[in-house]
This record gives sequence, C-alpha cells and structure tokens, in this order.
Amino acid sequence: MRSRGGSATTVRRLDQERQALPFLVPALVVLCAVSLYPLVQGISRVFYAYRALAQENVFVGWENFVLLFQDTTFFRGFSNSLVWTVTGVAGMFFLSYILATMLNSQYLRGRRFYRTVTLIPWALPGTVVSLIWRYIFLPNGPLNTFLRGIGIANPPNWLTNPQIALWTCIIANIWMGIPFVTIMLLAGLQALDRQVLEAAAIDGAGYFRAQFHVVLPSMKKVILIILTLESIWTFNMFDIVFVLTKGGPGSASVTLPLYAYQNAFMYYQAGYGAAIGLIILSVLLLVIAFYIREVLE
Amino acid sequence: MRMHPAKQILLNVAVFVFVVMLAFPVVLLVFNSLKTDIEIFTSPMGVPLAPTLGNFRDVLFNTTFFTNLRNTVIVAFSTIVLSACVSAPASYALSRYRFKGKTAFSIWLLATQAFPGIIMVLGLFTVLSVYGLVNTLFGLTIMHTTFSMPFSVWLLKGYFDKIPYALEEAAQIDGCTRVRSLVKIVLPLAVPGLLAVGTFSLLLSWNEFFFALVIMRDNAHYTLPVYLARFIGSGGVVQWGPLSAAALLVSLPVLILFMLGQRYLVSGLTGGAVK
Repeated sequence: MRSRGGSATTVRRLDQERQALPFLVPALVVLCAVSLYPLVQGISRVFYAYRALAQENVFVGWENFVLLFQDTTFFRGFSNSLVWTVTGVAGMFFLSYILATMLNSQYLRGRRFYRTVTLIPWALPGTVVSLIWRYIFLPNGPLNTFLRGIGIANPPNWLTNPQIALWTCIIANIWMGIPFVTIMLLAGLQALDRQVLEAAAIDGAGYFRAQFHVVLPSMKKVILIILTLESIWTFNMFDIVFVLTKGGPGSASVTLPLYAYQNAFMYYQAGYGAAIGLIILSVLLLVIAFYIREVLE
Repeated sequence: MRMHPAKQILLNVAVFVFVVMLAFPVVLLVFNSLKTDIEIFTSPMGVPLAPTLGNFRDVLFNTTFFTNLRNTVIVAFSTIVLSACVSAPASYALSRYRFKGKTAFSIWLLATQAFPGIIMVLGLFTVLSVYGLVNTLFGLTIMHTTFSMPFSVWLLKGYFDKIPYALEEAAQIDGCTRVRSLVKIVLPLAVPGLLAVGTFSLLLSWNEFFFALVIMRDNAHYTLPVYLARFIGSGGVVQWGPLSAAALLVSLPVLILFMLGQRYLVSGLTGGAVK
C-alpha cells in the first residue's frame, strides 16, 4: 500500500537527489580524480612498453602478456603469492581464534592488559616489523641462538635458504596480522549469546563440537569479513618481503606486488609492471566481491 | 558452568605464554636500542647489562630523523584532515538520502580497497606529474587520502545511521539548513566516529611505505618508513643498535596515539560486522 501518489514520490526522490548531490561532490571528485582515472590510466599502461631505440613508451598490444606467460619468475611470484596469502591468512586466523577464545574467558585475570599488549603489532609500521624479524632471523641472531641452546646444532639460515625464505616472511606477516584478527574475533565472540553456549554445554556438546556447531556458524559474517579483508591486505602486502629478502635468494621469495615494483621502478618496464598489477587485480576482484556482498547485506 | 580450577590455571598460563611470545619481538627491539653493537653481537637476546642512550643520540643528531619526522607529521595530519573533510559529507549523504547510483557508489567505494598499489601508483604518477605534485608532500597526502577515504566513509556512515533523524528535523523546522545540521548536530554526536576514522587515517599514513618510496625522489621529502628502509640498506654491516633506536623512535608516536584511539577504531570496525 502506497499512501502517496506516484508523482509525489517522484518529486520527493528528485528532491532528495538534488539535496544529496552537494554532499557527494567532494567524494566524487576525489574518487574520479585519484581512483577512477588512475585505475583506467594504470590499466592502459599494460599495452605499452619502453623501447630504448625510440626512448619512449610505444604501443605494443598484448605483448606484455605474451612475455608474462613465458616468464618463469612471474609464475614463481604467482604461486608464491598464493602460498603467502593462503597460509598467512590461515595461520593468522588459527592463532587468533585460539587467542580470542582464551581472551574471552571469564576465568582469565588481567584481560584488559592482555588485550592492550595484543594490539601493539597492529600499530607498528611494516618496515619496523620487517627489521625486527630480520634481526630475529639472522644466522647468529636470537632464534638460532635459542635453537642451538636447546640442542639443534645446525639451525637453518632463515633469510638466505631458498627453501625457507618465503616461510620466514610469512611468519613475520602472521605476527603483524594477529592483532586485527584477534580483536575482530573477540568482538564477535562478545556479541554471542552466552545462553546459547551454555545450552550447548548442558546438552553435552564438548568444547570442539560447541565451537564447530554453535560458535563458528553464528560468527559467519564477521569471519567472512575478516578473511576477505585480510586476504586482500596480505596479497597486496609489499613492505615485509621488500625489507626481509627483496624476493631473494634469486626469486625464491618473490611475490607479485614486489615483482611488479621491480619491473616498473628498477627495470623501467612500467607496462610489464602494470600487466602484473592487472593479474593481481583480477585475482582480488573475486575476493572483494565476497566482501562487498557481506558488507552491503 | 564452573571451570575446573586446574583448567583455570592452565588457561591463565597459556594466555601469558602466548602474549609474551607476541610481545617478545618488541621487547627485543627495546633491548637492542639500549645496547652497543658489540653487546648485541655477543648477547643477541639478553637484557642490556650496560644500558646506553648513545644509539638514540646518534639517530637524533647524526641522521636526518627530524626532517623525515616533520614530513611524516605533515602528511599524516593532512591526510587525517583531508579524508575527514571529504568523507563526512559523503557519509551523511549515504546515511540520510536515497539517490540514484547509491549502490554503485557504495560498491565502487568498497572495491577501491582491492586495487593493487602498482596500478594505482602508475596511474597516479601521471596525474601528479601533470600538476607538478611528484616528490611533494601534498602529492603523497592525496595518495594516502585515496586509500583512507573509502574506509572512513563506511565507518562514519555507521555512526551517522545511529543518530536519530528527528534531532535534525527539529532544528530544520527552526530554519536550520542541512549543511548546518550536519556541522552543528550530527558531527558533534559522531565524535567517536571521527576519532575512529582519525586513528585509521593516522595509522595508514604514518606507516605507509610503498607510495612514499615511489613518489619521493630525495631525502628531504622521505617519510619515516622510507628513512628506516634506507637505514637498513645503507651499505655494508647493519648497525643494529642505532637502527633499533631509530625504529623505536619511528614507532613511538603512532603507537601512543593508536593506543589512545584504538577503542574508537575497534568499535567502529566491529560495529557493522558483528551485528
């Protein structure tokens, strides 16, 4: 049942749009000038390559992509980026979930203190985080000193062993991501109805059954938002690999954002870098679609 | 349901160990900043036995720390102000009006977060060159605003939604315009929201490395994260003592402000997601 006539509604809507516009102008200007235009401009670069002979960027069509699909470093970076993101986000989530459920317990003393300390890595610049871990992972640094102390005679060289370098970076990134994920999960847990949990416990559901059948399902929304956001941030993360290993040794720990940067700003192949960027964008669009659906619901 | 006392003790011990391990890297940083390079080498994990402030003196007086600090402060605070000024009206429109393209606008805003840095930096480079803003603090501010605005709009909209429209209607009957009602009625009630987006913008801008690295050409314009990365990379043996002191000095201001603002940021971030 509509109480107002159709035309009156239309007038009201137009009126609303006219009134809303001035409030939107600053954001629209910013979005167009520094988001839409650069995106289009940046993507258009994939069709250009720098030619030394002409000393300028010339149109080359799909050549960058043809080269990309013959480039073993690109494939290395692609698979590294997937490993880096999937294991990184899974590691963060697993550890944060354990921490958050413990921090949520009424039997824990000093919850406020622990919560505050947990937040610290969140505020640190990525470069600071990276250099702390670079120190910890030095051949004769704290970690290896500790490992030798407990009887491991030949601990690995964390930053220069090609089998391990990427995992070293992943550990640093997990450490940096734990605060955000923990605090979000903790807020989700605190919003849960304690009665539901108690009912599950009375019905004889053990700890793990209660987690899987009651807690996780009722936090579906917050978990999906955490996982999508954190995946996007991790996939795009540049600082840690740049400071810890520069992608090395060789290309053992190269990720796509780092490889794109190297091409665009060290080898002066902006078009090739942009092509890598477009691959990153297409992977992330799938993830962001899930995120947007959750948020707009 | 009571928890068994043994389990209670176990829980408290487990959290203690977990949090100590989480904090340990930062403790190491503090230790190193107070040690000489020789002591760092001979005792990589120990408490500083002869604490010295020499590293801090080195960093403050023999490096360009203050220049880079000034740059970081200027960019961070301009980003906070600029993104609040742009976001608040947009959030107001999203919260109070229905308009054509509202969903498209929201989707675009949220999608911005997934745009890869490399594409944006190549595109923005072109825009900034046209206006002569490459290698300027204002150019970097614009870049940071692009990335803080989407989140800020979304966060503030959540706060505005909670403020009853009836409050504004009363004022409008008395002849108050919408702009005045945003400034005089809505914004004062949304101060926690403004603090949340301020904290978010501060964290993003102060710590941001990639754009600062790419668009700045000389040390006079570098921000602190780039200063640090160059400190690490500056040839030969890394001097961990001064480096740790520098890292601590870079982190402390943002850490303190973050601790003051985190309450608002966390409730803003979780407000929408947890319901």
